[in-house]
Amino acid sequence: MYFISMRSYGMESRRVQTYSVSDFLAVLNQTLEFAYPLVSIEGEVASFKVNQGKYVFFDLKDESGTVGCFMTVWQLRTPIEDGMKVVVQAAPKVTPWGKFSLTVQAVRPSGEGSLKKSFELLKAKLEKEGLFDEARKRPLPAMPQRIAVISSTQAAGYADFIKIINTRWGGLSIEVAHTQVQGEGAADQMIRAIKHLTTREELADVLVLIRGGGSADDLAAYNDEKLVRAIAASRIPTLVGVGHEVDMVLADLVADVRAATPSNAAQLLVPDRREIIDSVWQRVRAMAQSAEMAMETLRRDTRHQLDTMAEGAMRAIENQLREVAQSQNTLHAYDPRRVLERGYALVRGDLQPSGMIEIETQSVIAKAEVRDVQQK
Amino acid sequence: MSSKNNKTIADKRAELSGLLAWFESDQFVVEEAIDKFKQAEALARDIEQELMEHKNTITVLKQRFDQGDA
Repeated sequence: MYFISMRSYGMESRRVQTYSVSDFLAVLNQTLEFAYPLVSIEGEVASFKVNQGKYVFFDLKDESGTVGCFMTVWQLRTPIEDGMKVVVQAAPKVTPWGKFSLTVQAVRPSGEGSLKKSFELLKAKLEKEGLFDEARKRPLPAMPQRIAVISSTQAAGYADFIKIINTRWGGLSIEVAHTQVQGEGAADQMIRAIKHLTTREELADVLVLIRGGGSADDLAAYNDEKLVRAIAASRIPTLVGVGHEVDMVLADLVADVRAATPSNAAQLLVPDRREIIDSVWQRVRAMAQSAEMAMETLRRDTRHQLDTMAEGAMRAIENQLREVAQSQNTLHAYDPRRVLERGYALVRGDLQPSGMIEIETQSVIAKAEVRDVQQK
Repeated sequence: MSSKNNKTIADKRAELSGLLAWFESDQFVVEEAIDKFKQAEALARDIEQELMEHKNTITVLKQRFDQGDA
């Protein structure tokens, strides 16, 4: 509220008001506030400096004009430097010293080059702090039951995530914090959602931030320093799936696990029930195969035993037959008829002088009388 | 996910793995194999049914996040 003391001088054609300097500045600021409560201005940053670690000063310029800007360090959510093209949201004001300046509430890089530069600056800063270190990364729960999601429920990426997760697994409790996912205020909304979801008594098993594809400017909220720090500070493991596979935002780097897309986030969170069912039946089939193999082995062993027994019996019979044949051969060799066949004769009877004997050859039997017997 | 007899899907899958291990082990005996196989088939059917039946509960929080301290 400004109190304006005013003196009027009567003039013939018109009345001119006279103000004190302070009053005039107050009126001017009131007029500015009424006419331009908040303006959005795009320009190039020049003479950027931070005083006392708290106050940020820079000029915003284009080809033919320059305007001074002021803001506090905590309002600066993304690093900027001279030469970067930015869009500021600011309230125009005239200082008590009569200098016109913009009191900046928010600044964001504009254009691909500036977005990239800002991304690299913040990335280097946070990397130096160790926010992206592998050692900080926590594994996602193997089988989460409660999943907290931060996204816009109207976003295509959200629909993809829900569709995939519903197809893959059931019985989950999914809580969704609906927030803006792009534009002014998106980062703050997501930060509030993170705070809400990670400071409750009953925590979810995992916190998921998802958003579908878009331009670098659309995804810029996920490069917001405060948001990145809020993700890093989450009490529960975080999974970030923003944009397409080629998109990389700082929220990806700070998350415990990065998903290439929202659909991929769903794939990383839960197994596919169809794959599990296939694997379950595969095991049952493996059991059947094991049983068949065991039966086959048993059959083969039994057959082998029977074969061994039969072979043994055959061998024993053959041995016996061979022995019989050998005996037959021996008997055959001792048969006197074989001797007669070779030309010998068999003599039987009274072998003394005048004794009668029988001489048997192979073909005849002759009777003869012994004339003489002499000892050899 | 847990069934009526309070066994979770993970419990049932572990049980199935145990049965498979038995089939592949030296403990396998033909006389018990049929019963164990029937048990495995029943478990597999149970797991399939349970996995396909369960639906997710999705709750969009009523809380608004467009106001307050970030």
